[in-house]
Amino acid sequence: MSFLLLFKDELLGFYKSKVMIFLWIGLPLLAVIFHLWAPNTGPQLPFTMVSALLVSSIGGTLASAMLAVTIINEKTSRVYDLFLIRPLKRWNIVLSKFFSVYICLVIASILALLLGMAIDTFSTGLPSGVVLNSSLQSLALGLSMIMISSAAGVLIGVGSPSVLVGVILVIYGGNQISVIPLLPSMLAVPNPAFITVLIGVAISCVLLGIAIFLFNRKQF
Amino acid sequence: MIKSKESKNLLVLEGVTKRFKDLLALDNVSFTLQEGDIFGYIGPNGAGKTTTIKIIVGLLRQGQGSVSIGGYPMPEKKDEVNKLLGYLPQQVSFQQWRTVNHALTTLGKLSGLKKNELETRIQEILSLLNLSEVRFKKIVELSGGTIQKVGLAQALLHHPKLLILDEPLGGLDPTSRYQVKEIVKDLSKNGTTIFFSSHILSDVQDVATTIGVLNQGHLMQIGTLDKLIAQFPRKNQIEIVLSKDSRKWTELQSMKQIQKIEEQAPNKILVHLQNNADVDEMIPQLTQKLITLGCQIRSIRPLSPNLDEVYLQYVKGGGSL
Repeated sequence: MSFLLLFKDELLGFYKSKVMIFLWIGLPLLAVIFHLWAPNTGPQLPFTMVSALLVSSIGGTLASAMLAVTIINEKTSRVYDLFLIRPLKRWNIVLSKFFSVYICLVIASILALLLGMAIDTFSTGLPSGVVLNSSLQSLALGLSMIMISSAAGVLIGVGSPSVLVGVILVIYGGNQISVIPLLPSMLAVPNPAFITVLIGVAISCVLLGIAIFLFNRKQF
Repeated sequence: MIKSKESKNLLVLEGVTKRFKDLLALDNVSFTLQEGDIFGYIGPNGAGKTTTIKIIVGLLRQGQGSVSIGGYPMPEKKDEVNKLLGYLPQQVSFQQWRTVNHALTTLGKLSGLKKNELETRIQEILSLLNLSEVRFKKIVELSGGTIQKVGLAQALLHHPKLLILDEPLGGLDPTSRYQVKEIVKDLSKNGTTIFFSSHILSDVQDVATTIGVLNQGHLMQIGTLDKLIAQFPRKNQIEIVLSKDSRKWTELQSMKQIQKIEEQAPNKILVHLQNNADVDEMIPQLTQKLITLGCQIRSIRPLSPNLDEVYLQYVKGGGSL
């Protein structure tokens, strides 16, 4: 009950933010500009993939930074005091932030993927099985990277004492961790999309678990 | 406030101690508040007032000692306690994208209010605090004083049994301060216990039924204002207000045991007695003399230390529990 309420609230707060507007409109636009600037990426790198990768890499970093900065600011301005003196579990706050941003980014990724597929269809005919398959792999990879970035953003937000430290950790820590799901594609393991998602979920769970542990112990 | 025998202990602190590394923020603080009490918690900056409050509401954990609210121990029964608590922090802050209505709706729901009850309650509270016109404004558009009042609104939403207010009157204009003090008195009449800290001693004196003086983590004294004042010797001064401005009072100078007479206003004088004079004996003598002189007396009273003076005595080390 409390979680759903906070999740809906956070979703409302994040989807109205400038960062989300940039992710939902700006990033697909950037992808289109990239396509117009370099239209001949060839069948091995369909535009669908370019678009999905752009959203997951830039979007993941932005989401991670946004989450960390939001949590640090809300901690220092004592926003959580009014929540923590009410009968709710602290993990509700942490997970509602994570899922609201993650859902916003999933929507941005799907929008970018659909735009990419539309452009591929328009410029090269109907998407082939190969293109569709690689698009789904791109989506799996992108969503896994975003999941890890968002979880890292939450952990950094909970643990960092200041915005500056938080942003530095996001850039030099969160970003590095979020590329781990690339490994199955690089190592050519069988069923890489599944392994990628599995790695993404596992790392995110660990990061979120640590974040919840720290937040539960924190004295405000 | 006179308590009936049925009055219950709502808040009990026993030997609460809190240390931040080398700093002893609270040292063995104990007190009990009953239903309907208005407890004014005073002390200089850094005395430990906010630390005490944060321990009571569960934002900080006490190092030693125990806290119980409504019979529930903290922090073990935090969920039960949180249903009884209303809290206004010293620095109240909301997520800036929220409107007043949105913030109150979310916080009210988290406190367990049902949707239909919540709507009525938000209207009631906003109307009580003269905030109805800002209901759909964003928090970021409000002034500091208005945000403070929205903070009070969220603390009152769910009819808390224990209302904890950390410096509630600091950012408010005189009208709002008066209004909040009246609300506090009304809540107390209905059985709500109010714990509030303040630097504005006149406000504490206006509303508090019990006062606690905290200094450097030690609870120096706790009791009614009269009890606190009684700890200090009465001043050897008598204030006399006459109904007409007549200079005949100057003849009081000739009386024994009068050190000097200070004219504070055209019809108001302050008689300073000598150190060995007894105030209680002097009042009838002065009254008799003034009547003989043909003065019309409006009031005559011995001066006692006020809360400011009592506070300074405790903070400077003049008093102890």
